[in-house]
Amino acid sequence: MINHVESPILEIHDLTVSYDQSPVLWNVDLSLPSGKLIGILGPNGAGKSTLIKAIMGLVAPSGGYVKLFDKTLEEVRSRISYVPQRESVDWNFPASVLDVVMMGTYGKLGLFKRPGKKEREIAMECLEKVGMQGFAKRQISELSGGQQQRVFIGRSLAQNADLYLMDEPFAGVDMATESAIFELLQQMTSEGKTVVVVHHDIYSAVNYFDWFIMLNLHLVASGPKEAVMTEDLLRKTYGGKLNLLTKVSELIRQKEFNPLKN
Amino acid sequence: MSDFVYFFTFQDSSIAFVVIGIILLGVGSAYVGTYSFLDKKALLGDAISHAVLPGICLGFILAGTKNPIYIVSGAFFSGALATFLSSWLRKNTRLSEDAIIASILSIFFGFGIVLLTVIQKSGNPEMAGLNQFIFGNAIAILEEDLWIYGGLAVFIILTLTAFQKEFSLLVFNAEYGSAIGYPMGLIRLVFNVLMILSVIIGIQAIGVVLMAALLITPGAAARFWTDKLSYLVILAGVFSAVSGVLGTYISFVLPQMPTGPWVVVFLSLVALISFLFAPKRGVISRYISRRSYLKRTHQDHLLKALYRAGEKDKTNLSIEEIYETYPFQKKESNQSIKYLTKKGFIIQNQSFITLTSKGKSESKRIVRLHRLWELYLNEYMNIAPDHVHDSAEKLEHILTPELEQLLESRLNYPKLDPHQETIPRDNDEL
Repeated sequence: MINHVESPILEIHDLTVSYDQSPVLWNVDLSLPSGKLIGILGPNGAGKSTLIKAIMGLVAPSGGYVKLFDKTLEEVRSRISYVPQRESVDWNFPASVLDVVMMGTYGKLGLFKRPGKKEREIAMECLEKVGMQGFAKRQISELSGGQQQRVFIGRSLAQNADLYLMDEPFAGVDMATESAIFELLQQMTSEGKTVVVVHHDIYSAVNYFDWFIMLNLHLVASGPKEAVMTEDLLRKTYGGKLNLLTKVSELIRQKEFNPLKN
Repeated sequence: MSDFVYFFTFQDSSIAFVVIGIILLGVGSAYVGTYSFLDKKALLGDAISHAVLPGICLGFILAGTKNPIYIVSGAFFSGALATFLSSWLRKNTRLSEDAIIASILSIFFGFGIVLLTVIQKSGNPEMAGLNQFIFGNAIAILEEDLWIYGGLAVFIILTLTAFQKEFSLLVFNAEYGSAIGYPMGLIRLVFNVLMILSVIIGIQAIGVVLMAALLITPGAAARFWTDKLSYLVILAGVFSAVSGVLGTYISFVLPQMPTGPWVVVFLSLVALISFLFAPKRGVISRYISRRSYLKRTHQDHLLKALYRAGEKDKTNLSIEEIYETYPFQKKESNQSIKYLTKKGFIIQNQSFITLTSKGKSESKRIVRLHRLWELYLNEYMNIAPDHVHDSAEKLEHILTPELEQLLESRLNYPKLDPHQETIPRDNDEL
């Protein structure tokens, strides 16, 4: 059940990604409409984060390609914003909340140049949008999980992009923060932005997103909520890993080289 | 004393050169080292500082003299080779990082010692003093050395300052840096070059082996004092420069003393002082705040005991009864009684202790927090009434007024706790 769309904002063509040779994503082929709130669903180890990293060029694919706004990543990088997983950084790093949010302006600022008053103002605006303006001077080590997540989203907003790719922005946050973040994402899509979110909780996902990508090492489904939220597809997504696919992965891992590499 | 005045007034221009050199190298290496410490790559600095030795010896063999340009180039070459090898091995083998670092360190250093022995056996009269490259001799820094080593240190400091935002991004979240299109691989390469250079600037004054300490210790010590990157870098630089100058002074006064080890001794002293005395993070301040917290909990418990006596229509407790309630804590009990009397919470009349009105309201507050928490655990977390006391006994001391308000409204201003005891409010009679 894979719905392709006309003039997609993101087109993924036969993407295969391997870690240490063993493939973690097989032949993902999909296209996404713009202005939608899109959820990536799948069990642990299904390749959800890997898909986002491959779109951002952070992991090299062993096959296939990604096109954004019908262009290559390098041509449109400034229009795309990436929110990494909260646990991927050391929050004991000596920096203030404002310092981190200001990193969102670095892309436009470029190398060498130091952030100034303008960047500070942008960062403060974005902190306000995520409800953290009172925390600007706070050290990031003193933040709660939900606040850390807000800081990361604030940093992403400071990029003022058209397409947002967020890796588990709802992980480890309290209910109040979760609904605040969700409202913010909805507001962004109503302004015409596209937001793609890796999400782990299937129950809340049904209420949050209008388009779903379902992954389990391979693409199970991609389409509007009404079309893909079926028991059958959910069972295919969450019903354990495909035995045969895992066995083939194991076989490839034991080779001295990666046969899937171009 | 006259030595002291002579050294620190810089009457001798060669001493001035040495001091300027040691300050520059101290600040430069502490600056780089602070970033690599934050990046959790402290061991890489150690490996590089050992790995430059064979390069130094090769430079010497090629030049035939202690030509600083040959020596610096040789050191840079072997340091770069070691860094490259360690990242290549990590990418292309399944060896773990610690195994790679440990083997590179010992292989390069062992090879360096072999070359050093070969040079010493060769009978070259110039070889005298090559040993200094292991432990360093700051006093032997000449003006021409200063131009090279000092120049490199200035280069390191300027580059780090110019790329501050890029290096912070590298350490904090390199993946995000790549996502916004920064050439993080190149930035990592520049940083590694600075690491190698920061080891090289110390080979004459501190010696190769001990440069690792100069890289990491200042940043690690400064981390105890501050949470701000800008202060951290400055403080690390100051620690390093001060230790450098003191170490140089020692090797000036006692000429047989090598500089490097003395600098490290002073640095360790700074680190020890930071570890012990730094506010908030220091061991002693943590000990003191724990002690004062324990004292406060004891005072709270005493007030609670008086309140509970009041619930049983007993207006006071004798000191003996208090001792019995807290066996083996006679000293603490006396301290608490003294403190609470001074604060006006209790009055001692002969050997009987009574709550004042201020004490009543404080004791009610503690009992209220205790019982509210018990009720919360029981109602919201389904914990049986006979299992809630221990947790409440600890949390009654730390719950804030905001949390108290939240508990009250969540539980809808309850009258009784899970043991059917009254939850006291301020205007209740006692």
